[in-house]
Amino acid sequence: MTTSAMTDKLDSTETFGQPAFDRLLEKRIDPTWLTAKRKEAWEIYQSIDWPNPRDENWMRSDIRGLRLSNFAPNIDESVEIPEGTPVRLLEGVDVSASVRSVNGMVVSESLDEALGAQGVIVGSLSRCARDHSALVERYLHSLISPKSDRFAALQAAMWSDGYFIYVPRNVRVEKPIHLHAAMADGQVDLSHTLIVLESGAEATVLFESSSPNLDAKGLHCGGIELIQHGNSHLRFVNLQDWGKGTWHFAHQRASVGRDAQLQWTVAAMGAKFAQVDQRVELVEPGARSQVNGVLFTQDRQHLVYNTLQHHKAPHCISDFLYKSVLQDRSRTVWRGMIKVSEGAQKTDGYQRNDNLMLSDSARADSIPGLEINADDVRCTHGSTSGRVDEELIFYAQSRGFTRSEAIRMIVTGFFQQIFDRITIQSVREALGAAIARQVRQYE
Amino acid sequence: MPPFHYVCPRDQIRPNQPQTFEIDDRFVVLVEIDQVVHCIEDMCTHDGGTLGNGQLDGACLVCPRHGAKFDVRNGKAVCMPATEDTPSHTVKIDAGKIYVALND
Repeated sequence: MTTSAMTDKLDSTETFGQPAFDRLLEKRIDPTWLTAKRKEAWEIYQSIDWPNPRDENWMRSDIRGLRLSNFAPNIDESVEIPEGTPVRLLEGVDVSASVRSVNGMVVSESLDEALGAQGVIVGSLSRCARDHSALVERYLHSLISPKSDRFAALQAAMWSDGYFIYVPRNVRVEKPIHLHAAMADGQVDLSHTLIVLESGAEATVLFESSSPNLDAKGLHCGGIELIQHGNSHLRFVNLQDWGKGTWHFAHQRASVGRDAQLQWTVAAMGAKFAQVDQRVELVEPGARSQVNGVLFTQDRQHLVYNTLQHHKAPHCISDFLYKSVLQDRSRTVWRGMIKVSEGAQKTDGYQRNDNLMLSDSARADSIPGLEINADDVRCTHGSTSGRVDEELIFYAQSRGFTRSEAIRMIVTGFFQQIFDRITIQSVREALGAAIARQVRQYE
Repeated sequence: MPPFHYVCPRDQIRPNQPQTFEIDDRFVVLVEIDQVVHCIEDMCTHDGGTLGNGQLDGACLVCPRHGAKFDVRNGKAVCMPATEDTPSHTVKIDAGKIYVALND
């Protein structure tokens, strides 16, 4: 089968073609620079092919089942939040700001007045592109190139709405900011998230996405850009809990400045197929990033994470830890790369991926890598994969636990290392509850 | 027994010419060997790649990526680097039409 045959069903002149793009431009009230950017991205979208299955990042991904013609971009007005769409990260949390979207269109936004007075901006990206045009223009798609791949080009051209957070210099946002993306069954989310922290700023952002039911279908093609200037501190939590019929494509980028700190927690529970390209760039000396990933898959879910921790400056620290638990016939692919640029001496880079298989039919591919162009660095990586230890289960059962309870305890223990790194209690509890829900009974 | 899904007319499958089909969100390869139509999962158990555009070597389908071989009659992995069998599915021919039941 040729490359084009692998992806020929992706092309959809009806729903993601020129008429749809023209209609989108017609309906939107964008500043001129944004329209120009969209047109530029659209040209790229039309000029490049879908990802080649021979590309290293895509060779373990099978997107033949994706039919773009089954979906259509949400160009018209937004709808109400679908009934039953869970919100998991809010329990017991007092937030300072909140933005909610449905099918990629923001439907509600709120921000503490005191923060607004300090210059903090939180809200719809479309609105902010008009109200804070110069600011958004400076940062939007500064980290994600539409040339990354055709999904990135499509999203850059047709993004519907999304979230913009801006924290000015030396402002600390004490309470978390909550973002929630809901997607109705069979719908599309082309949202974009842009977060900018000026020097000395601090914020915690809880971002979750969910569908109204477990099997909901959908297409998410999104982008996340986190931009941190010197001495800023960002805790960013991203819980992906789409329905199990959802296709999820995402480019996620962070740029961390001098002595700034990023703690990024990723939890992926949902989607039928996910392809996430996550990159953290440490661009100035003293930047630190910690990425914690929790993946829990079941049925025939197939989640692909390509991560890059790029040390562009000396004296930076990066620490990536991804842990996956797989059951049924699910599959995860984690391909991690530490890249050290020339001159980025005294780099301290670490990456690790652990996989726990709960069934014989699950499969985890773990591919750590190093690309080092400096000669005074410490870069280490590791990976483990294995089954649940039957002896541990037997011991727990001898103490009166059922097999299911024993497995749940073992899985929780497996993730404990990540839970210990998460400083936000509601996030720990939400993840713990989500994991407990997913563990099946195995004999 | 899992349900049978209609795939294609019987005469669409030619001897020794593998063809890929999508059934119930999964991809399978149909091959006719010695006038019998067989069906296996379109997945190499070595690296999860597709087998559909591989060449036939006797009754074995050769993975185009790394050369693993799978017996199309039963899905058995017969050549490294694959060590695990790929799922084999039940084929039924009725009134000139091919039906497949996905076994797992």
